[in-house]
Amino acid sequence: MSHFILKRIASALIGLIGVISLVFFLIHMIPGDPIDVMLGESALAADREALRQGLGLHLPLYEQWWNYFTALAQGNFGHSLFSGRPIVDLLLERIPATLHLSLIALTVAIIIALPLGLLAATRQHSLYDYGSMGFALFGMSIPNFWMGPLLILIGALWLGWFPVSGREGWNAVVLPALTLGTAMAAILARMIRSSLLEILGEDFLRTARAKGLSSIKAIVSHALPNALLPVLTLLGLQLGGLLGGAVITETVFAWPGLGLLMIEAIQQRDYPVVQAAVLCISMTYIVVNLMTDLLYAWLDPRINLQNPS
Amino acid sequence: MVPIAWLLFLCVCFVGGCTESPPENIIRIGLAIAPTNLDPRLATDAPSARVNRLLYSRLVDFADDATAIPALATWEALTPTHYRFVLREPRPTFPEGTPLTAKDVLDTYRSILDPKTASPHRGLLHNIRKINTPSELAIDFFLLHPDPLFPSYLVIGILPANLIEMNHPFHENPVGSGPFLFHQRPDDSRLILKRRHDAQLMEFVKVLNPTVRTLKLLAGEIHLLQNDLPPELVTYLSENPSIFYQHKEGSKFSYIGFNHQDPIVGQKLIRKAIAHAINREQIIQFALGGRARLAQALFPPSHWVGASQLEGYGYDPMQAMELLRQAGFSRERSPTLIYKTSTDPFRLRLATIIQEQLRQVGIHMSIHSHDWGTFYGDIKSGHFQMYSLAWVGLKTPDIFRQAFHSQSVPPQGVNRGRYTDPVTDDLIAKAERTPETNQQRDLYRSLQERLLDTLPYVPLWYEDNVALSTRAIRGYTVRTDGNFDSLVHVQWATPTTLRSQIVRQTDS
Amino acid sequence: MMRLWFPMSIIIIWGCLAILSPVLPLTPNTIDLTHILVGPNQDFWLGFDELGRSIADRLITGARTSFFVALSVVALGLLIGGILGISSGYFSGWVDHIFVRIVDIMLAFPGLLLAIALAGALGPGIENVVLALAIVGWVGYARLARGQVLALKQADHIIAAQAIGATPWRIMSRHLLPLITAPLIIEASFGIASAIIAEAGLSFLGLGVQPPEASWGSMIRDGTRYMLVAPHLVLIPGLTLMAVVLAANLLGDWLRDWLDVKEPKRFR
Repeated sequence: MSHFILKRIASALIGLIGVISLVFFLIHMIPGDPIDVMLGESALAADREALRQGLGLHLPLYEQWWNYFTALAQGNFGHSLFSGRPIVDLLLERIPATLHLSLIALTVAIIIALPLGLLAATRQHSLYDYGSMGFALFGMSIPNFWMGPLLILIGALWLGWFPVSGREGWNAVVLPALTLGTAMAAILARMIRSSLLEILGEDFLRTARAKGLSSIKAIVSHALPNALLPVLTLLGLQLGGLLGGAVITETVFAWPGLGLLMIEAIQQRDYPVVQAAVLCISMTYIVVNLMTDLLYAWLDPRINLQNPS
Repeated sequence: MVPIAWLLFLCVCFVGGCTESPPENIIRIGLAIAPTNLDPRLATDAPSARVNRLLYSRLVDFADDATAIPALATWEALTPTHYRFVLREPRPTFPEGTPLTAKDVLDTYRSILDPKTASPHRGLLHNIRKINTPSELAIDFFLLHPDPLFPSYLVIGILPANLIEMNHPFHENPVGSGPFLFHQRPDDSRLILKRRHDAQLMEFVKVLNPTVRTLKLLAGEIHLLQNDLPPELVTYLSENPSIFYQHKEGSKFSYIGFNHQDPIVGQKLIRKAIAHAINREQIIQFALGGRARLAQALFPPSHWVGASQLEGYGYDPMQAMELLRQAGFSRERSPTLIYKTSTDPFRLRLATIIQEQLRQVGIHMSIHSHDWGTFYGDIKSGHFQMYSLAWVGLKTPDIFRQAFHSQSVPPQGVNRGRYTDPVTDDLIAKAERTPETNQQRDLYRSLQERLLDTLPYVPLWYEDNVALSTRAIRGYTVRTDGNFDSLVHVQWATPTTLRSQIVRQTDS
Repeated sequence: MMRLWFPMSIIIIWGCLAILSPVLPLTPNTIDLTHILVGPNQDFWLGFDELGRSIADRLITGARTSFFVALSVVALGLLIGGILGISSGYFSGWVDHIFVRIVDIMLAFPGLLLAIALAGALGPGIENVVLALAIVGWVGYARLARGQVLALKQADHIIAAQAIGATPWRIMSRHLLPLITAPLIIEASFGIASAIIAEAGLSFLGLGVQPPEASWGSMIRDGTRYMLVAPHLVLIPGLTLMAVVLAANLLGDWLRDWLDVKEPKRFR
């Protein structure tokens, strides 16, 4: 494998270890005695000791860290304090819902952002440009915990076209995906616009047009692919925002995904589940980033994968 | 290649959201909490208990004033410690067709008394010395001590003897002789029962969000909602012409509990001040939509034990401040209290209102809200200063011993506040020993007067029961204790055959 | 100039309201049961909430919470991130290397997620919100500061200052800091917008301000329960939040354009 790919994978692994360690320290950030916080003041002393032993909180810190790490490597995320079930089962139940929502939200974002960005870049400084970018700014400023209820009010309560919450029925994903997707679309649109603007001034495009290619064809087959390259990186970064924002959107719509699991676990003081949910989402983020980087490298002919960079 | 990949993505995404569409002929009831345990020997929560009433028959039932009336059987006290129950004809049958016999009753109660079953109702029946079945229709109960209230404890659903022997998992697959059969439980949030006399299916659907429940009712996806709705939504629905609204006085008793070992609220003067500081009428009128009655004691006046002439603590902020002054507090030295509650939005609203009303008489109360598990655990273990809860489904006066006797501190009983009063203990003991019902009633009334004077709880109100149904069904009447017994009589407003004809006509 | 009056006026109005709120005759926590869920009308422009409290008063008190949290978080972030970033960039070496790794790792985290988890662990309350958001937020400023310092280190006047024996502290504070304030300020203005949203989001999830204190986020959350019967509970705080955040973003945009124009002249 090439030096570049190895470097990126190594980087991702270090990032993963760092994230795992950070998440590990979550339980130690709990003020007071975490056992008290988790079980409540009324727990029996025997139960408290059992939990302390079970979580390994009586061991020295470095030993706890090592145990946490090795357990994770074996796929053992521990057990939920609330239900006693293995956390791995909980994660597997909830991941499909979050994936479902994120992918549709991503689709929505691209469908909105691409035409907007294109329009703004090709008709720079026109009404279309200001209109699109103004729209994008709006989208960035509406928090999704307000947009969600707003969409529920209009789409579910007044129009009755969509369910208020939950995952029943094919149209249940529309409102949450719109909520999650528009914020991302706003940022994406701005990025596409600026990236396209850079490309549109390039020589090769003028050459293409001089050779007789119509504007649209020139843009789509020459400008767009090049402009989309940095956008791809942005998409990878934004996925983090998507996954984080999914937490709030899932709460608003009672969408049974990882984000809702995390919030419920926080409310129930079920910290092992909180750790696992945060870890899962972050690991997804790192892995997606790594794949985006590799994809970018593969797509961009300027990066020569064979030679050391 | 890329477009095809996207198309595949989209297909996968949409498929993820598919569910089967429900069949048309099921009557649906929306619930806030799903029934958890369908074994009447084990169930203690209200939703499970109400569903179990539909699945199983019981020896004894309660009249509106909570006196015991015959259900499956009539009874006679042959001696003060010997009760004979005789099953009435016609006897209900179990699903295979065999009629209920005395053996079923015997085995059910024996299994409840068996420590291995770990039945929470065992304590209620500790007075039983021996059970016999002299004939196929008669059951004899022999008691350790005389207790005229004994029949009212025999309200537990009867299970078939043969299945008890085989350790049948009733909590998952209930088999009883009630008007409904267990049909299906597709998942945690749906329970489908089949009515025996006409095979009508009824589904209990758990829908967590009250707004969603309301919308489903309006859309016709659910046909009946009973209680568990914020007052504004009830008002909103009651004003909708397509919804049929009923309400009836209820017995759900809301109260404020105190920790009597606490230096501040352990003082009677403070509790009386709190009682005078709360403007209950205003809360009932504005925050509860008028759907509650002032309460002065655990049991409403309509209950046979209820005392109707109790004088409660009216809203009197001046008196409250005077009492605080007598207790040694003043504007400079005002008491600070911690009020614990769950995260339920309505109880938080109530807490905030109480906080404000207490602030106006100079008491500073801070609200600590926890998730239900933590909150309930703290209450049971005595880690609180004050809290508010409600007793649902109180029928028999044994609650007085459970809640107020000095020896009933958890885990023995539910005297969570560690209330200790020799006069109370004495009255409870006397009332339990009295064989004559009228004398008992008088003693319980004196007890309630005493409790109103010593204020282990500050009584708040009895919430009404409300039922909201679509015009598609008829025949449902809401009951005083909020049970679903009336589902036996519910019918579609237009008969099914007629309905499908109408549908076909509108289609063409 | 036209672009400017809209966001400036919004920020100034709400900023003033936030600052003045302790002295204004507000009753954000006064419950009036007779006014439960009363909507906007001629006498009370913004109506009342589910406990009969004046929404207008709670909105203003909530502004104070939002601005307090936003300014604290940004100030802390600038302070910590600025100092660490400048130092790390200036001194280089293995300290810088480790610092970059740490910053990269923290940036590899979806920020809001970490803030939610931290706030959940630390417990509810406004101070913990500031702490959680600051812990997540300082890295952005640190990376920016470090990047700017790295670019500036080779500038002539810095080398000259080193040659005449100026202490690192003097160089960093007198020569480097003034030059990097511009991009830091731009970052800060966007940071204010995102901190306001983050605080509201945490309060929405129940992790921030506790009842009966008012925050725009918790007002929105409480309002969603009554959307069917009283939509003004959700609409009013949401519109306000959106307007203020939009204004902050617009200001940031304008600042960036303005400072970008000036920058090339500075470095000549």
